[in-house]
Amino acid sequence: MELLPQALMDGIMLGAIYIIIAIGFSLVYGVMHVIDFAVGEWIMLGAFAGFYLTEWTHVEPMLLLPGVFVVFAAAGYLFQPLIHRVLSGHRGNPLLMGLVFTFGLGLMFRGLAQTFFGFYSHSIPSRFSNGSFFLQGGGFSTTVSSVRLAGLVYALAITGILHYLLKHTDFGLGVRALAQNRDAAGLMGVDNKRTSAFVYGIYVGISAMTGVLIGMILSLSAKMGPDFTIFAFFVVVLAGMGYLAGVPAAAFLLGIIQSFFLIYLDPGYTLLAVFAILYTILLVSPRGLFGKGV
Amino acid sequence: MKRAAWLALVAAVVFASTSRAGEKRDFFKVGVVTELSGDLATGGNVTKRGYDLWAEAVNKSGGIAIGGKKYKVKLYYSDAQSNPSQGAAAAERLITQEKVDFILGPYSSGVTIAVAPVVEKYKVPMITGSAESPLIWKQKFLYTFGTIPPVNFTGAAAIRTLAGLSPAPRTAVIFGSNDTFSKATAEAFEGAAKKSGIKVLKFNIVPAGQDLTPLMSAAKVLNPDIVAFGGHDEELIKLVKSLRQIDFTPKALLMHYGVTEPAFVEALGKDANQTFGGAVWTAAEKTKGKILWKDAPTYAAAAMKAFNVPADYTQAGSSAAGIAFEVALEKIKAAPPISEAKRAELIKALETVDVETFYGRVKFATEGDYYHANVGLNPLTIQIQSGKVAVVGPGQSAEAKAQYPMTRWDKR
Repeated sequence: MELLPQALMDGIMLGAIYIIIAIGFSLVYGVMHVIDFAVGEWIMLGAFAGFYLTEWTHVEPMLLLPGVFVVFAAAGYLFQPLIHRVLSGHRGNPLLMGLVFTFGLGLMFRGLAQTFFGFYSHSIPSRFSNGSFFLQGGGFSTTVSSVRLAGLVYALAITGILHYLLKHTDFGLGVRALAQNRDAAGLMGVDNKRTSAFVYGIYVGISAMTGVLIGMILSLSAKMGPDFTIFAFFVVVLAGMGYLAGVPAAAFLLGIIQSFFLIYLDPGYTLLAVFAILYTILLVSPRGLFGKGV
Repeated sequence: MKRAAWLALVAAVVFASTSRAGEKRDFFKVGVVTELSGDLATGGNVTKRGYDLWAEAVNKSGGIAIGGKKYKVKLYYSDAQSNPSQGAAAAERLITQEKVDFILGPYSSGVTIAVAPVVEKYKVPMITGSAESPLIWKQKFLYTFGTIPPVNFTGAAAIRTLAGLSPAPRTAVIFGSNDTFSKATAEAFEGAAKKSGIKVLKFNIVPAGQDLTPLMSAAKVLNPDIVAFGGHDEELIKLVKSLRQIDFTPKALLMHYGVTEPAFVEALGKDANQTFGGAVWTAAEKTKGKILWKDAPTYAAAAMKAFNVPADYTQAGSSAAGIAFEVALEKIKAAPPISEAKRAELIKALETVDVETFYGRVKFATEGDYYHANVGLNPLTIQIQSGKVAVVGPGQSAEAKAQYPMTRWDKR
């Protein structure tokens, strides 16, 4: 019992990391119907951008996040037509084409990163990394790491901003229309190519910022990508493919399961537990936790 | 006409293969199977630097002297991609296609265990300059040798050093990542702790690459004197950051390989200080080499000049693997290409190698649980002090006093 608040807190903080790695991934699947297996590599490239920028400018990495977002969003916007080309035309099974293309892209990014950035692991120094709070009350106590709390705030802020963008702006209306029916949305004046490029840009920008945060909280290296791709995929499948609103709940659930397993049960079976729960939920509700996935 | 073309092609292939079987060359073909890409690429490239430096030094000296003539060495790399099955395939390709004379082995224990049966099948000697799991040696592969002693030999020494500190640590929590080397490291820590009278409050093997913060929270509640962890570079960095984030400073933090990698200090800065580790060689060690480099500092300087990265014990062990082959080849006067009979002779010669090198003494065990592992070295306990590696034990080898208990994270 003594550890319960800490287990919950660690799970929530872990869940926050999962939200930010999965939310853009879910958005892109919902709109473009692309399972982007390069998500981990976008995160990795963002992490390296944050690492080098911090090293060169000595600026607090949290302050660099908007700049990283803009640069990577622009890169994603310019990159998206390439993916669009792979998915369109007379190619059979565009879902598979997108998956294979992004998988290859991920491999290429990883190889290039190993060549240019080397093999060593790094960490992004931040003034938030060093602090923690000790909360106590009602017979319970828990330690909260400042940098993980910053990650949680960031995850909730990104979720809130995306929610506002999708539900309360014309752009969001277009995005939702595209996600529902691409042809009908086109007939109503939604520019598929342009909107998809914006969505992909937003996703790449969010992923890159996530990379910077992960570099502050954990570590970064050229080979870090695949672990995050797998967890992004887990969360999105659990939430329901393309169902953005389900991502936070699914991410927190995964984080808390992992934390409880690591603390109370056998840590060796943590990933097995995550797989088993994912499998069971998909068996009972194939469209995710809320039954609202594609 | 078409049939004639086919016949000509078959004849060409047959001719090419027969001429290959009877090939003559004036250099040694040295196969290298290591992890040049994938999760273990950091360590794989450390071994590559060690092997490259040895080859460069041998060739600079004219080559390996066999019966009055010197033969240069040429390295043939094959990437194990951090994957045991790819490693086995890579070794098979080097042996059957490149026809290498002998092999310098992988960085990781997992890949080494997969490669060992392949070299056994084709009867090609292999020395790994890195793998440390005791499982490799327990299987008693005739054709596999290693220059780094098994981790149960080296890891236990670090625990013994900690047990001798004052106030003596009484409790420990021990974790290991779920790969061959890390698991063996954690088990070695556990076994030595029990023998030293240190109570192990928690012992877990965890999936590789996980965020271990919740597990460290559980450890914090137990408040052990020692936190010991078997893992690789990135995991060690994450673990220190986790401890810092939950504000838990044990009296001693012990890891193993990875602490001596420059990336560990670079990534963690002040937080890397006072972390203990195990090693079998440091750049300042007082060794006396007879071949290629006269002592550890000379080797370290050559490595720094070649790669601009400080050498650690894995890199040194990899270069020493080349030296062991050199000594054995000279002893049996085996000129390239080496026949199967000569390779069998080479195994016998390797078993009798007993040589002082810049890396220390290289002498392979010929029986027992350490079969074909190098047992000529003394395991060292090191600690990061002011960003540098300092030997703090065992007693006669210590060059600095252990900083113990650890200074709280927020007081650094």
